[in-house]
Amino acid sequence: MLCKICNKNPATIHIQEIVNGEKKSLHICAECAAKKSQSDPVLQGFNLAEMLYNLSGQIDMTQDEEHKEELSSAEPQNLLVCEDCGWDTAKFRKTGRLGCAKCYQVFREILTSALKNMHRGAMHVGKRPGGENNREAGKLMLEIMNLQKELDELVQREEYEKAAVVRDKINALKNNG
Amino acid sequence: MPESENNVEMLLSNKVSWLSDSGPEDDIAISSRIRLARNLEGIPFTISADPERLANTMSAIQVAIRKAGCFNLPLDFNLIKLKELDRKVLLERRLISREFVAERYGAGIVVNRDEDIGIMINEEDHIRIQALKPGFQLREVWEAINAFDDNLGKELPYAFDNDLGYLTSCPTNVGTGMRASVMLHLPGLVLSGQIYAVTQGVSKLGLAVRGFFGEGTENLGNLYQISNQSTLGESEEQIVDRLSTVIRQIIGHEKNARQALLEKKQEFLLNHVGRAYGILRHAYIISSEETLNSLSALRMGVDMGMFSSVDIHTVNELFVIIQPAHLQKYAKKELVSEERDVFRAALVREKLRTIDKNA
Ligand SMILES: [Zn+2]
Ligand SMILES: [Zn+2]
Repeated sequence: MLCKICNKNPATIHIQEIVNGEKKSLHICAECAAKKSQSDPVLQGFNLAEMLYNLSGQIDMTQDEEHKEELSSAEPQNLLVCEDCGWDTAKFRKTGRLGCAKCYQVFREILTSALKNMHRGAMHVGKRPGGENNREAGKLMLEIMNLQKELDELVQREEYEKAAVVRDKINALKNNG
Repeated sequence: MPESENNVEMLLSNKVSWLSDSGPEDDIAISSRIRLARNLEGIPFTISADPERLANTMSAIQVAIRKAGCFNLPLDFNLIKLKELDRKVLLERRLISREFVAERYGAGIVVNRDEDIGIMINEEDHIRIQALKPGFQLREVWEAINAFDDNLGKELPYAFDNDLGYLTSCPTNVGTGMRASVMLHLPGLVLSGQIYAVTQGVSKLGLAVRGFFGEGTENLGNLYQISNQSTLGESEEQIVDRLSTVIRQIIGHEKNARQALLEKKQEFLLNHVGRAYGILRHAYIISSEETLNSLSALRMGVDMGMFSSVDIHTVNELFVIIQPAHLQKYAKKELVSEERDVFRAALVREKLRTIDKNA
């Protein structure tokens, strides 16, 4: 299904309204929704994030086979894929969500105009994460996470003795780190 | 009883501090809330992570929370281990989002026993911190959550970009990752037919207005949540200040509307409030819709000094505990809709009777 406003992008936002007892639906893309929410009284007061979110929950239920096909065949020539997480343009348009931090670089072009419409500025001017100890703690956490993963695998393979060793390591890190 | 379930029982025996404590302007502003969205560096966002990854992320965050020591009395909930009814209790207390009620792997929350601050783990973002205070005190909430975030940030590497700020799964949250909101009780503006103009005006300023109960345009209990939409290009303090300015104006409008009703339509106002009180005190069957709207009228009456014997915080608390999941927990069994209406009426009568005795 294409966006009812620009007829260009796939519609990823579906708004339903009851007007005089009649159900009306509006199907638009994220870009047009951002533009429209600034000026249109129907969309004012809708929280864009909320709309984007609703979409990810609803899309599987509301979509019939025909639309699924449309989405998967939409603009294959422009398909960008994030190397880090595997997210691609289709998934981004479908959910309005990004797959990882790296996606912000991969989809920068699409994002730039969308961000301008959503926000009051293009640059972050708020708080920043703290200093050096932040990095140290981060390393510890990643180490615990990796050990946890190893532990899960060992338990799955029923290698309980090795698992016990890893579990002790994790506990030591959690307690002393 | 497993820990998570136990903790739900503990919450139910709690008074919700942001509803039962006093705060500035709390005749009209019920509560102030801020949430911050954070993600961990080098780990895919929740939406693209596999179940194993989600489980690992959750335990890593739980460890960091303990080490940061940011809670006085932390209560842990592993949502998948909870029954649906218990998850709905958490939703009705605004501790989790609607999305979190569905069964989700690796989803958890940690909340302070007082319910003034909590963290959702693996919601749309890895971490969503939320802080609440009674009344209109966004500045104070920001100070609390800012310090909390600093502490937690010492233990966890946040995904952050120099230009775009805190990176979030949805681009509508990127930057500060902050959503600040105030819940306002606006029966005066609704009764005098001005609410539409006010909400339109607020939307024009780039702020979002949403009913607290009910979906879309249907709004029960005259409770409105006003929040910022933009998260990029403004600092957290600027967002708080801009929102606070508008909230102050709306509170002023609501006061004027109430005063005008009192001066020009006194019988109408007294009738509206008195009938609501009568229904709440004496009904034996009452729907949640009628309860919420009657509670709204009663609350306004209490604010305007018509019922000196009724405690406003008990009225606040009733807004939460008359919801379906809470009722069924109190009844200790499943109740169908008709049974709930009977049980609800009994609970409301009992609560209001207790207040009168104390007076
Ligand atoms: Zn469009
Ligand atoms: Zn990615």
